[in-house]
Formats: sequence, structure tokens, C-alpha cells
Amino acid sequence: MNKNNEQSIFARYRKIILAVILFMVADSLVIGINFYNTYKADESAISINLSGRQRMLSQRMAKVLLLLQRGLDANVETSIVRSQKDVDLPIDLYNAPANVIHNLQELDETAKLFSTTLKGFRDGDTVTGGDGHPAFLPKVETETSRQIVADADTIWGPYSELLQPLLGEKRNFSVAQLEEAVTYAQENNLKILRLMNDLTTDLEVVANKRASTLRIVLVIGIIVAFINFSYTVVISIRDLMSGDKKLAESRNENAEILATVHEGLFLLSKDKKLGTQFSESLPRMLHMDIVPGMDFMPILQNMVSPEVYESAVDYIELLLGERVKESLVTSLNPLTNVPVNMLDKFGAVQNRYLSFFFNRALVKGVISHVLVTVQDVTDKVLLMQQIEQAKSKTKIEVESLLRLAGSDFPSLQQFIDNTGRSLSQINEKLSQPQEDERARLHTLNYIMRLIHGIKGEAAILGIDVLENYAHESEQELVAMRESGHGLNGEQMLRVAVLLEGFYERYSSLSAIVSRLSEALGTKRTPPAEGAEDTEQTESARDASQTQTLTPGQPVQAQHPFAGQIAALAQRIAADHGKQVEISCQLEGFASLPPHVIQELQSISIQLVRNALTHGIETPGERAERNKPVPGALGIWCKYLGNDNYDFSVRDDGRGIVPERLRNHLVKSGRMSMAEASALSDTEIAKLIFQPGVSSAAVPDKDAGHGVGLDAVMEKVKAIHGRMQVRSRPDTFTEFHVQFSAAG
Amino acid sequence: MKSINDNDIRSFVDAVSSFFFHITREKVEIRAAYLVEGEIQASTFDLTSYITLSGDFSGRVYFSAPRVMVAHLLLAMHEPDRGDERLLDAVGEIANTISGNARKHFGESMQISVPVAQVTGAGWLNTAVSPHSYVILVKWKQYRASVVVDIQRTA
Repeated sequence: MNKNNEQSIFARYRKIILAVILFMVADSLVIGINFYNTYKADESAISINLSGRQRMLSQRMAKVLLLLQRGLDANVETSIVRSQKDVDLPIDLYNAPANVIHNLQELDETAKLFSTTLKGFRDGDTVTGGDGHPAFLPKVETETSRQIVADADTIWGPYSELLQPLLGEKRNFSVAQLEEAVTYAQENNLKILRLMNDLTTDLEVVANKRASTLRIVLVIGIIVAFINFSYTVVISIRDLMSGDKKLAESRNENAEILATVHEGLFLLSKDKKLGTQFSESLPRMLHMDIVPGMDFMPILQNMVSPEVYESAVDYIELLLGERVKESLVTSLNPLTNVPVNMLDKFGAVQNRYLSFFFNRALVKGVISHVLVTVQDVTDKVLLMQQIEQAKSKTKIEVESLLRLAGSDFPSLQQFIDNTGRSLSQINEKLSQPQEDERARLHTLNYIMRLIHGIKGEAAILGIDVLENYAHESEQELVAMRESGHGLNGEQMLRVAVLLEGFYERYSSLSAIVSRLSEALGTKRTPPAEGAEDTEQTESARDASQTQTLTPGQPVQAQHPFAGQIAALAQRIAADHGKQVEISCQLEGFASLPPHVIQELQSISIQLVRNALTHGIETPGERAERNKPVPGALGIWCKYLGNDNYDFSVRDDGRGIVPERLRNHLVKSGRMSMAEASALSDTEIAKLIFQPGVSSAAVPDKDAGHGVGLDAVMEKVKAIHGRMQVRSRPDTFTEFHVQFSAAG
Repeated sequence: MKSINDNDIRSFVDAVSSFFFHITREKVEIRAAYLVEGEIQASTFDLTSYITLSGDFSGRVYFSAPRVMVAHLLLAMHEPDRGDERLLDAVGEIANTISGNARKHFGESMQISVPVAQVTGAGWLNTAVSPHSYVILVKWKQYRASVVVDIQRTA
């Protein structure tokens, strides 16, 4: 991948790289030529300088020779020449004056310098430079210079020969030899001077040519460098512009994508900050202004529940870590279809559903960011919920239909009528403004009793949808009553909403019963074979319809309620993990007036609920107390004669324990310990019929809300009956309702 | 389709309460809340204003009050003109406050009409949209008025 990347970079910048290389080569070449020419210019300067010096040396030699000659003539009477009468004899220099010696020495140096320099011009050699230091003198290059040097050599050769006696430490010359040298010098001095002049001129011409060449090279170098630079600049600008254009195109495409895409897109850095680019839909989706570099986690924290937030923190940490494979943790994403709270432009809280999807963004195999995609899935989730609700509703309806189809139809019709009446009564009560606290509390208890009745009847018919709703409503009403002030304004509103909930369910149920009624016709379909209960039901009905009751002759047949209450008792027992054996004998029940039957049904439902919830112990407890594991529950209706009946419910459970009730009353704050202690056991036991008093440790659907016995008493009153309770702790509880069928 | 809940209904009642409190420093109290089926008898009182809702919701929210109560309100507002037109303006303003609160409570999903105010004599009926409409009887000073919520969710 690295290699490919490098190749890609070279390909992209190839022209610029080549231009730079070319520039460097051209520049090096120019610098090399320049260096060479500078070196040559140095050499030319030395040559010109030394050539000029040769002119000077030739003149100095001639001058020194003439000075020597004149010096000797001036000293003709002196000892050095007096003893030397013959001009051919060597001159005695021992007593020569200083100026003669000086001139000889100067001649010596000049001739030597001239000779070595001339040789240097001819062959190239190191000579004494103009500054007295050794300097390399290159041999002359041009034909003209070589000819000049050759001509100078031709003159200098004899000249040098003639000067030899005058030179060196052991110089030994005669006047004749001096004169001969002077004569030669005089004859050739101008020639040598001219030759050296010519040499200087020729050297200058060469130097000028070289300087000219250097200038041309420099100009060419500058032009090449300029062209190269221009080319490089043009190429670079073109590439940069092309790059910018591509970048702009890419940026435009990105912007177009980010502006168009419906999802909220952004990159999350390792420190969990939002990247610089994000889709335009993101602020709209999150209902907030988004600023690049914002911390993502506080945004999330404000939107989701603390539990979801904690899970999300862990999940994002996992994603940003290198250790775990992305595919392995995707399923752990806690931010799919997550409910979020957001404020809209009116400041109203909007409940939306968002899904956040996270994908790692890798650079060279290392996690650089996490790409976050946000989708508003509210419509989808709501649709799913609606489908679920519809499914659930359909399921409930179908189940209800099936259950109701197997129910006793008149009982169902009765239930519909009763429930409708109860709901109307509740609504009627609600519509009456309650001015004081006592009236409001009374209203609440009244409503609770009616709802409790609906719950009981729904339970006996197995209409879960109403039983459960009644139970939930009852719980809310109990909480309202616990506040101790009865219904306040807001609570009344809440009760109205609960009532609407009842109506909704009631309407559905009514529709089902109507459909059933249409399907079954006005008469019940014949019972299925082997349906014992139904047979009993029919026979009971027949009996009740055909028999004429006389005192002492109660109806022997069982009312369908016997089967229903037994089934309900078994269900409640199973729900509480208890076992129960039920004995139910409803003598004359079927022939009682309908409103009495209805009240007795409600009474028995509540008493059975209480018996199974508070009375009968769990199998374990019963075993500890040496009782049979199944509890015994009896429901009896006995004809007492003269239209008088005794309806009773008995269980062999814990019994009513006054001390336990006393403690409960104190704990619940209904009375002080002193007040509770002041009451007798009988008085304490009587309190169970007051609203809100229950001995259940934990209230549940079946009992414990302190509604049941309150409602029972209301119903006993409704049939002008009398309630008796008998109980022995850990042994039994027995409720007796004595009433007259005549009213 | 989810029903409206007590918070939704309370938002309308709160609007009425806030209106009265803002002007008179006295809140209205809920005295009763119940259901009516089929037809709305806001005619219980003399003057009625309402807003019509659409969008995710449909239906109407009514405020109905006796003439004397609205006149008393105008008195509290130091309004010398207590003619019918001004009385209707006042109940219209209450409907407008209900509208504002509803917009705040329900958000963008609710579309609300301009308030309509009218004199509603005895026998005035209006057909309800929902199976059961909520009637909330409120009390301000010694007067009774009503807020009738006849809306249902359509989405």
C-alpha cells in the first residue's frame, strides 16, 4: 500500500520533479562553466600581469646595463679600473662602489625573473608572481602568443648569453663584455619591449574572449534557469489548479451528498468529538445547532435514558478500541430504535425514535474515526408499535371471542349491561362537582367499589382485558385515596381518562358480544356432547324456569355461577401458588331475583379472592401447621325457609388475627398504637369492612387494596342483608350473608 | 391509534388557568371532569369559544362560560366596555391562550385554527368528533365554566 502510494505521488508530481532535476543539472552546468572560466580568468590575469612585468623587466635590464656602463666610466680613475688598463681584462669588483654592486644584483634578479617568466610563457611553470609569491603561469595558448614567445626566446637567447658573465655570485666580466651586452641590449631592447607588449595585448584579447564566453554562458544559464523556473512554475500552478479543481469538485460532491442525504452523517474522533463536516439533516434530526468539534457524549446524554447512555458509552469505547472486531460488536449497539426526548421550535418535548449506526473509518489499517449515521425511525417505530397494538388487539379480541363463545351467554349479556350501568354511574358521579373533601373521598370510594365490581365480574367471566384494566385503575385509585384527600381536580381529570379507557374496552367487548349474539342467534346453541358444566347450566336454568318455589323446597340444581366461581378460585389459587379444594352448593340460587344473584356473585367473588389471598396458606405453611396441603374453600347458599337464605364463604386458612390487623392499622397510619390497643378484638375485626383497610402484606390483583370488603358491605346493604363473620386464628374464617329473597 | 391522555387534556385546562391567573392572580380550579358522548352541550353557558385542531389530531377544544363570569373578568381587566362583542373577544382570547399552550404541548404536529367565539344559547349542540369528549368543569370565584376537549389522534 505504501509503495503504491509513493508511485501515485511520483506519477502526480512527475513533471515538477523532472523540471526540478533539469533545473539542478542546468544550474550545476552553469556553475561548473562559471567556475572553470573564473579559474581561467585568474590564469589570464596572472599571464597579463606577468606579461606586463616582462616589459618592465626588459627595460630595467637595459637601464641597469647602461647604469653599470656609466658607473664604470665614472670610476675609470678608481682602483677597480686603474689597475685594469686592458678592457678585456675582468673587472675587479672587489673595490667597486655600492651602486655598481647594487646594479649588478638588480640585473641578476631581473634577468633571472625575465628568463623564468619567459620560460613559463613558453612551457607553463610556477614562477614568482607579481606579489613575490609563487604562481603558476600557464603556457600561452594562441599561435600569436606562441610566436611572440618564440621570437622573444630568439632575442633573449643571445641576450642571456651576453649577460651570463655579469650574473651570479662569481660574476666575472670585462668592460668589453659589458659593452657588448649593453650594445646588444640597446639593439634589442625595443624589440623585446614590443614583443612583450604584443604578448600582453594578445593575452588581454584571450582574457577578453574568455570573459565574453563567461558572460554568454551566464546569460544562457540564466535564460535556461528562467525558462526552467517558468516551466516549473507553470507546471506547478497547473497541477495545483488541477488539484484544487479536483479538490473543489470532491468537496462539492461531498457537500452535495451531505446536503441531500436524509440521514444524519458525521465523523466521531477518538476523543468523541464531532468532525468538521456533517450532513445538513443532522441538526434538524437532533433538534439542535451543531458546531464542529462538539462533544458528542453530552449531546447523547441529554437525549436518551441514563441506562441507554451508559450502554452507549461502553459500546463506543469498544468501537474506538482496536481489540474487538467491529462485526462482533455491531449487534451490541444499544442505540437502535432508541426513544429520545427533544424540544421542538415551540419548546415542546417531542418523543422521537432515532437509530445511530457506527462504522469504523480506517486509515492505513488504524481506526481514525467512527462514521456515525443517524436515522429518524419514528415513523417506522410507531408503525411497528401500531402493528403490534393491532396484533395484540386482534389477539385479545380473538381470544376474548373464543372465551366468550364458550361462556354463558346470558351472564355475558348481564355483564355488559352491568358494566355499562357501572360506567354510567361513575360518569354521573364525576359530573357532580364535589365541594368538600369528605364528598370527594366519598366519590372516590364509590367509584372504587364500582370498578371493583367490574373487576370481579370480569374475572369470573375470564374477560382479562377488563379485569386487568380494572385492576390497574384500582391501583391508581388506591394511591389517590392514600393521599388522604379524596379526589382533587387533577385526579378527577385522571379518573375521567381512566373512565374513557373503560369505555374503549367496553365498546370493543360490546361489539364482540353483539357479533356473538348475531352469530348465535337469540337462542343459545345446543351444548356440545360431554360438556358437563353446560348441561348442568341448562338443567339448572330449566329447573329455575319450571320449578315453583315453596318454603322448605329450595332449588337443588346448580347455577352456572357455581362452575364459574370454582374456576375463578382455582385460577387465583394457582396464581398464588396455593392448592384448594372447593365445595360449592348453591341451593335455591338460580331462583333468586336477578339483582340478588348479581350482588351475591359480586360478594362471593370478593370473599373468594380474600380467602385465597389472605386466608388459605401456601402448601409449605399448611404443612408446617399440620394442615392438609390443599386448603378447603366452601361456598354455600342455604335456604332457611320463609324466603330467607344464608349465603356463606368459608376457608380453613389463617383466620382473622386481631393483633395482625392492629399492627397493620398502626403501620398504615390509620390509627395510633394507643387507639388500636383501646379497641377490642371484635371492634378491630369489624374495621376490615372499612374502605382502605386490608391485612394483605403485598397488594396484588386479587386483594390487598382495602376495597373488597367495603364493596361487599355495600352489596349486602343493597340486598338488605346482614353480614356475620366468624373466625378463629389459624383455623378458619367464615362470612355469612343472611337475606330475604322477598327483599 | 393512541388516545389523548390526562397530560394532554391538562394542557388545555392549564392554559385557561394561566389566563385567569395572569389577569386576576386567581387560578381556576377543576371541580369536575367527566365524559359526554356524541354531542357537546357547551350551551350550558352563554359564551363559547373554540379552536379546531388538525394534523396528527382532529377535533375541537371549547371554552364556555356564563356571561356574568366573562363580564367579571373584563372588570378585573379594567375594561369599561362589557358589551357582547367585547365579551366574545375575551372568550376568544382564552381560546387563543389554549391554542398557544396546545402548540407548546403538542409541538409541530398539531395544526390549530384561529379561535372562533360565539354566543351559545340554550339548546346549542355540536356534534363530537371523538366517541367521548371530556368536559372539565372549572370554577373561578363563584362562577363555573367548562373546558370541553373533543379531540382524537389521527396519526
